[in-house]
Amino acid sequence: MRSLSSFAWRSLRARRVRSLLTVIGIGLGVGILFAAQATNASIDRSVDRTVKQLVGRADLRVSAFQETGLSDTTLAAIRGTPGVAIAAPQIERRAYLQPPLGTPPKPPVTVLAIDPGVDPQIHDIAGAAALTAAGADALVSQRLAADDGLEVGSQLVIQAAGEPVTLIVRGMVPDNGPVLGGFGRTVVVGLDIARRAFGQIGLTRIDLAVSPGANPGAVAQELERRISGEHYVLSTPADLGVSLRASTADFQATTALISAIALFVGAFLIFNTLSMTVAERFREVGLLRAAGTSRRQIHQIVLTQALILGLLGSAVGLAIGAGLALVMAGYVRSIATIPIDVPATPPEGILLSLLVGVLVTVAAALEPAWRAGRISPVEALRARPEAGSAVRARLRWLVLVFAVVAAAGLLLWPNRAGDPGPLRALAVYGVLLLVTVLSPFLLRPLGRIAGLPFALVLRAEERLARGAITRDPSRTALTVGALTIGLAMIVAVGGVAQNARHAATAWLGDVIPGDEILTSITPVPLDDQSPVTSDLLVPGVMRLTPIATFGVAYQGIRLDAAAVVGGDMLADGRLRFVEGDRTSALNGLDSGGTVLLPRSLADRLALGPGSMMRFSAIGAKSADLRVSGIVERGLPGASGESLIVGWSDATSLFGVAGADFFAARFAPGEAGQAGRIVLESRARELALEPASLERVEGAVSDALGQVFGLFDALAVIAVIVAGLGIVNTLTMNVFERVREIGVLRAIGMTRRQVWRMVVVEAGVLGIVGAILGCLTGLVAGVLMLGLVAAGGLAIPLELPWLTMALAAVFGVAVAMLAAFEPARLASRISIVRAVQFE
Amino acid sequence: MPPILEARDLTKRYQLGGEVVEALRGVSLTVDEGEFVAIMGPSGSGKSTLLQLLGGLDRPTSGEVVLEGETVSKLSDEQATRLRRDRTGFVFQSFNLIPLLDVTENVALPFTIAGQDPRNSDLAARVRDAIEVVDLSGKQHHRPDQLSAGEQQRVAIARALVTRPALLFADEPTGNLDYTTGSEILDALWRSCTERRQTIVLVTHDSKAAAYADRVCFVRDGRVLEEIPLGRRADHSATPLISRLAQLGL
Ligand SMILES: Nc1ncnc2c1ncn2[C@@H]1O[C@H](COP(=O)(O)OP(=O)(O)OP(=O)(O)O)[C@@H](O)[C@H]1O
Ligand SMILES: [Mg+2]
Repeated sequence: MRSLSSFAWRSLRARRVRSLLTVIGIGLGVGILFAAQATNASIDRSVDRTVKQLVGRADLRVSAFQETGLSDTTLAAIRGTPGVAIAAPQIERRAYLQPPLGTPPKPPVTVLAIDPGVDPQIHDIAGAAALTAAGADALVSQRLAADDGLEVGSQLVIQAAGEPVTLIVRGMVPDNGPVLGGFGRTVVVGLDIARRAFGQIGLTRIDLAVSPGANPGAVAQELERRISGEHYVLSTPADLGVSLRASTADFQATTALISAIALFVGAFLIFNTLSMTVAERFREVGLLRAAGTSRRQIHQIVLTQALILGLLGSAVGLAIGAGLALVMAGYVRSIATIPIDVPATPPEGILLSLLVGVLVTVAAALEPAWRAGRISPVEALRARPEAGSAVRARLRWLVLVFAVVAAAGLLLWPNRAGDPGPLRALAVYGVLLLVTVLSPFLLRPLGRIAGLPFALVLRAEERLARGAITRDPSRTALTVGALTIGLAMIVAVGGVAQNARHAATAWLGDVIPGDEILTSITPVPLDDQSPVTSDLLVPGVMRLTPIATFGVAYQGIRLDAAAVVGGDMLADGRLRFVEGDRTSALNGLDSGGTVLLPRSLADRLALGPGSMMRFSAIGAKSADLRVSGIVERGLPGASGESLIVGWSDATSLFGVAGADFFAARFAPGEAGQAGRIVLESRARELALEPASLERVEGAVSDALGQVFGLFDALAVIAVIVAGLGIVNTLTMNVFERVREIGVLRAIGMTRRQVWRMVVVEAGVLGIVGAILGCLTGLVAGVLMLGLVAAGGLAIPLELPWLTMALAAVFGVAVAMLAAFEPARLASRISIVRAVQFE
Repeated sequence: MPPILEARDLTKRYQLGGEVVEALRGVSLTVDEGEFVAIMGPSGSGKSTLLQLLGGLDRPTSGEVVLEGETVSKLSDEQATRLRRDRTGFVFQSFNLIPLLDVTENVALPFTIAGQDPRNSDLAARVRDAIEVVDLSGKQHHRPDQLSAGEQQRVAIARALVTRPALLFADEPTGNLDYTTGSEILDALWRSCTERRQTIVLVTHDSKAAAYADRVCFVRDGRVLEEIPLGRRADHSATPLISRLAQLGL
């Protein structure tokens, strides 16, 4: 057996370049897989760690539903509930730190107030013991300390609705501190300090631990019975983990999908390489068979080759993957709301990637091995293998590899119960398989179309190249298939990105009645004498309208809501009505008693104009509002589109304390320009952060662009793997045509013409791949949009022309570049040797 | 009139590892216009090598080849390729045709390669004419795998003839064929020679094939051992050649 495996090794070494390309191809596939897995693992770990940091040893969390917060009565009620061992109240608010004299203000900080006597029993906040409820002490997050140059002993001043409070930094908490979001600028203080800084406000949440032996479920039921008088949300640490994970779920699902696809493309490469080796060694295998080598031994030779390639490739893949994982983690860090760990490489992850790499390689090798075993000694010595008959066998193989990769993909899928991700991914994957299976039949007609541009200038080369492509349709199809899949991913990702971006920006323009948004970190009260509104209505500002976003409880679920001035919306022409009378509905909002629903929400709740909705209102009462219209889109809320109510209802029924932001519409022309400048400076004086709508749109678009940029990069790698496959296939085509090329040269074809012929061959392959890739990509994109839209964003379809054009150019360029070396080989063929008959 | 082809003192050495193979050791040869010359000799004697040098497929180690007054052995690869395309035709033992092109396309290939449109009426007529000479008019749209071995070889001859080359080179065109099929090929060559004054150089080790020629050059060990003039004879009888060879002890 030793001699047989050395035979396998030798035959790989004989085709060094091809073996190398194959190893690199597998390496890239496995690399993406490994990177995706390592990144996803580090996301999971980071989520767990964050949950632990936020929730600590709490078994239950009671959160305030409203801005006003939970009262001390509720805290007392909780503490009095049997089974509750510890209840740790917290307040979390945004505020500004007073900048040192003469320096511009920095972004706001998040103030987390704790009860130093109780809190350490539940949360592990480093240095919390140093705080006292009323002492002028603070802890700051390392991030904030680094940003603002704070150290232990530094002084800081919190400026909020109450009196300015001066504090001394007593310690640092790691990273971003124990809060979510807010750019990691966190200040931890005692509860009384917060009440001084923010005025008399309620608690943001109460984390509680149950007594040993008590059942959290039973305690939760008892709490629900006892807490009355205000609305709250009861959750468990697991709930928090789920909601944190949901924000990265799409990302994880998409990387998993793309890595499965890259691996699939790598499998094509293996398959083609081994098929070529078998075809090349046709005679040799025949001789081995004639000399008494058994069919099983032949299988072993081919599978040994696959194993060698698979192991080498997977090893290369781990190295590539480790690097890629760092890059990916960097991307995730820039978009995630929680700090993401540096990806570690868990041994089981390494093993799994190796296993999948080798498994896919071996699966890809089965068919060539089987084909090699079937070579009869007699036939081998007489003729060359018949290519066409292998089509069906290869397609069967393809389905097999598909199944293996799909199974591996499901195995590695970020596991969350009951989400449609895997199904959709399988659908995307299935579409790609279908196109590959169909492509042998599309090859001839598409090749004819693809050849047209070349035929105009290079008639002979084009005709001969097109012939070469159809010489072994299934091999060509597999090669084009790999390219198609890679390009399809680019187009799909591009399409999804473009649509998501467009939808997001169009959405804002559709619903925001202004050119500029002025955001406040605390609600701005809207009484008639409010200095804010009068100060901001400077000349050049046509309209200034307050908007608040908050949550409402409807039939036990939380819905996003927005408070607007209906008359301003009417005057500004915002909000597109799908149902209901625009004028009366918008005016009706201001007089109260009605609500507007975005279409997606109306569909989800099966409500229409005239329906009555019963909401929970402040003071443990309920309020009935009538749906007066359905709009295309609502305002952006925390987790999707929000329903819209008037200001009177917002304050009286839902306890909204004031506006979260103002939208300002400028007068056209120079007056507006001047108004903007005055407005922006006034706004800053009033602690409002001005931002033009374009900037907000740009930020949204940039964030999306970054995520999709990563996906695009991964898809580009898949195309490059496909390019390696093209090098192999073209080399094989040249190798099989040595005699033919010799004859062509003998009857007067120049070296340059031969070179061009091979490059044109690749060009035709590239164009076919581009056509198929663009079409497939559109279909896959629609499916993936579904994947993203599950996040609550309904997205209208729009063709990604630019991406399609870029993908097509890229595909054709990769294909033609891949042809350079094979073309050089072909043009160097010696006529004399080629025409010598053996 | 000067000969259409003249070879002067050709030698060809191959480097095989450390060993030098002398395939040709000083061959001189002339071919007149319209002549049908056969190069005959045992296996390994250097026939194919000689033909490759004469047709400009390869360069001699020393000596020169002059075709229609042009020194082939001094041309660049590009120029030699042009010359082959426009002035010579080749027929090999096998693998002559492009499998994916039909008969007409295969025959028209030299025009296509030259960048001409073979559908142009003048060229199309020449393609039809060449196909007619080899008697394949009914099978213009067959692909090579739908033809017999003899028919395939006739297509190759038609392709070699279609540019009306100064010289047609054929290396063992009947080597893969049985006797009757081989005769069809030789008949086609003969017809082109007699009816169209096509100059032909045929390499063969078979005396029956060589007997179609006007003159036979006998090659052995890289040298022309003997030139045997046979004259143009419609019966192609091999008897005079065989008896002459026997006389020479070959
Ligand atoms: N490319 C090459 N490299 C090395 N030696 C060669 C090469 N081509 C031919 N030879 C050698 O040159 C000699 C003449 O070969 P050639 O092919 O011309 O013979 P031939 O007369 O055509 O024989 P056959 O009847 O078998 O075709 C032989 O000894 C052969 O081994
Ligand atoms: Mg020979």
